[in-house]
Amino acid sequence: MKGCIIGLMAKIVNSYRFLDGITSRMMKHWVTLGAPRQIPWSPLAKPISQCTVSIVSSAAVALKTDQPFDQEIERRDPWSSDPSYRVLPRATVTADVRVYHMHINTSFAQQDLNCVMPLERLCQLEALGDIAHSAPSHYSYGGYTIRPDALLRDSVPGIIDQLRREQVDAVVLVPV
Amino acid sequence: MGLVQREIEAAGFSTISLSMMPELTNSVGVPRNAAIEHPFGLTLGLPGDAARQLAVLRATLRALEEISQPGSVVHLPFEWDASEKVNIYPPEAPPIARFLRRHPWHIPKFLNQTPPEVSEPRVP
Repeated sequence: MKGCIIGLMAKIVNSYRFLDGITSRMMKHWVTLGAPRQIPWSPLAKPISQCTVSIVSSAAVALKTDQPFDQEIERRDPWSSDPSYRVLPRATVTADVRVYHMHINTSFAQQDLNCVMPLERLCQLEALGDIAHSAPSHYSYGGYTIRPDALLRDSVPGIIDQLRREQVDAVVLVPV
Repeated sequence: MGLVQREIEAAGFSTISLSMMPELTNSVGVPRNAAIEHPFGLTLGLPGDAARQLAVLRATLRALEEISQPGSVVHLPFEWDASEKVNIYPPEAPPIARFLRRHPWHIPKFLNQTPPEVSEPRVP
């Protein structure tokens, strides 16, 4: 048919837009390493407007009053990193935290935590009625992990226990 | 992050990633993924841009609610203003980058994610 109308194309996110050539090639190779496996699935049991929501950030965010993430682990052995996690209360604001991730420019998150861990925005969505509650606690760990075993074995179960205790329904994971 | 998401989902919570690297995140088999074309370190948007941050979070939660097939990706429609130049790199190169510059024969180990075997750090 002549003169057909070209509709607006839905956006497809380009995973590599902001990366240099070497990093792009590395990431494209890493994509090929993922082996097919069964995908876990827990359906949402109720509308999101009735849910308690928690955020998990991989930016290595810690309260200034809490123990810092140990950057020396990675400096001593660049194949490793601190596998621990920190808990951030729901009312945490930028001035309360430091950001310890060593692979990103942390200056944005240091100016405004919501760039990577949108705790204030989640409270806004609670006030607007989009969700029932921002959970009492939210979580952060350092997301650069060539060796993820210690993180999965020693840290994630603690996060899951606390999510259960606080009766969280849904979790948003925010990489950096 | 995808591996952590899988564990949390398997424990009974409904989860979604907000990923700037959706191809990589999906390659590990995550249940739900909201893809966003933002630079590293600015997943939700620029400092002080509360409107964008709120819109991104709201769109992510909507995707969480709407995805009904395990392994689905929703590509969020946000455009990054190309005139907004940002430096996404840390002030100091990460230790692994400096190490590989000095020991390039280890690059295949890094690329294949097969690090040398040593005792792992544990949570104190």
